[in-house]
Amino acid sequence: MASMNVQAKALPPLRRPNGWRTAGRVLVRKPGRIAGLVIILTFVLMAAFGPLLYPATLPSDAAQIYAPPSLAHPLGTDFQGTDVLAEIITGARFVLLSAFLAAFFTVVFGTVIGLAAGYARGLVDSVLMRITDVFLTVPQFPLLIVLSTVWKFSSPLALGFVLGITSWGGLARAVRSQTLSLRERGFIEAARGLGLSNRHIVTKEIFPNVAPFVVMNLLFATTGSIYSEITLFFLGIVPFSNNNWGVMLNMAFFQSGAMYTTSGLLYLMSPLACIMLVTFGVVLVLDAVDEIFNPRLKGV
Amino acid sequence: MNYLKFLAKKLLGGLAMVYVVVTFTFFLIRLMPGNPVLARLTSLLQSGVPYQAAKQQVAAMYGFMPHGPLIVQYFDYLGQLLHLNLGLSIAYAGVSVTHILMSAAPWTIFMVLLGLFFSFILGVAAGVVAAVWRNSIIGQSSTFLATLLHGIPQFMLALAFLYLFTTEWRLFPFGAPYDAAIHPGFSPAFVGSVAYHAILPILAYAISGYGGWTLAMKSSVISVLGDEYILAAELRGLTRGIRIRYVARNAFLPLFTSLTLSLGFMFGGAIVIETIFDYPGLGYLLNNSIGAQDYPVMQGAFLIITAAVIVSNILADLLYSLIDPRIRRA
Repeated sequence: MASMNVQAKALPPLRRPNGWRTAGRVLVRKPGRIAGLVIILTFVLMAAFGPLLYPATLPSDAAQIYAPPSLAHPLGTDFQGTDVLAEIITGARFVLLSAFLAAFFTVVFGTVIGLAAGYARGLVDSVLMRITDVFLTVPQFPLLIVLSTVWKFSSPLALGFVLGITSWGGLARAVRSQTLSLRERGFIEAARGLGLSNRHIVTKEIFPNVAPFVVMNLLFATTGSIYSEITLFFLGIVPFSNNNWGVMLNMAFFQSGAMYTTSGLLYLMSPLACIMLVTFGVVLVLDAVDEIFNPRLKGV
Repeated sequence: MNYLKFLAKKLLGGLAMVYVVVTFTFFLIRLMPGNPVLARLTSLLQSGVPYQAAKQQVAAMYGFMPHGPLIVQYFDYLGQLLHLNLGLSIAYAGVSVTHILMSAAPWTIFMVLLGLFFSFILGVAAGVVAAVWRNSIIGQSSTFLATLLHGIPQFMLALAFLYLFTTEWRLFPFGAPYDAAIHPGFSPAFVGSVAYHAILPILAYAISGYGGWTLAMKSSVISVLGDEYILAAELRGLTRGIRIRYVARNAFLPLFTSLTLSLGFMFGGAIVIETIFDYPGLGYLLNNSIGAQDYPVMQGAFLIITAAVIVSNILADLLYSLIDPRIRRA
């Protein structure tokens, strides 16, 4: 024993790899990843500062209905003569904020319930998994439609919460099965042998091992939530509290017939293009995140 | 014996789930702002209907009496439900909800079943191609196409289809499941009209599902390709065609469960497509019942949509244990 200790001291101290530096290196490896990051940052800035650039109610000009693109209106105008670019920029905050909140709630519910069920096993596990089954069985959109009759979830927080609470089931199951296998591993047995508290074992020993998976799911859930919320607004299920991309689509399709006029096409296409761009950015960054967490993929 | 026990357990679980959903919708309607049941009663009273008649009318509509303790109303409602009595519609005065649901369901089943069929067959075939020839240009373009289509939200695809094929090129009709001028019946003209009107929604549904099936089949095939019996088959000198058949058959197993599950979700999964194409199925009905404040129809549509998922969950478990003997022994 003593000799081993001496040897260990003789070795140079192991430096923990610097997380930020690794992340930076992984990001610059492919130009697509930088592009993805730039796209996401652009939209985040748009969401943060966009609404500050414009008055609370955007001016409309009845003489300029469905005007073609010009210097004053780079994306043309809508059916009321409001600048489409302004609507896109001011609408970003609601869309991105509620999508992020939805993803956050999904991940928090899914992770906490999955960890609890997988670690506690027995009765707690059965009860939690039956509840998960109910949430996995009841289809999300019909449920949201029915819920919308009672609850007008039109603030970003309420919308995020309601999307989160209806979509955590899959993640909870996946986290539970990972926890079930992790808790049988040697290091957890050792931690239990050392008499560490359950809370310590779950948060400090097991959670870090499922964290990469959870982060990936946070990103997936963000794009998924953007689709869901836009669909909700598009179908007119959520009451319109302010302008956002989903409301624009609803207006373009159901209210103003933008589908059937060539001049209204930009009004319809602009929010669609933004949604695709955000998704594209997330997918590109996801590739980098995948490599940071699974270094074995590097060579492939 | 063991199998019977398994079956009984699944059926009981399914029944419990249906009960949860029924209870949920019952209390949800009571929670609604302004309580539509009482609001209906008041409006009937105000229009001069005598109290007793108004009460009976409302009871017929919702399947439970508006007054009396909540718990009595609840058991009343459950009793009516056991007789498949879902009450009467508000928007279509006097028509039973069961009748409305029964006339909407065939459109959803017809449209989604065909859409699912095409997306599954094409997706699985493309998935095999993407996995087996993954290092060639064919396989890679198959994967790329699938990833692209998988990333496009359903409503976006449907909108693009609608714009291109009904406005830009006017190849297909928009709205209504068949030409109103043709008398419904089993005539070639009617069947042709139904098919013609259904092509666009079916196509949109099929293409929006295609990418997911391709990617799932691809990863399943790749994991099977690494199995030792495939290597053994190669060593035994079996031709490539036979080996691919071996692989495809085994890779197909995990997808089978998802297929059965999708069959259940089809009742509610087509809300977007049905709404965009004005196709009068269950999803369209559910979405419109909210706008029309037709709560009995909403309640019924939600119940049938959820019940379909529960039934297909049970079916998936049973069929899977039939086609994969390993599950039965476990």
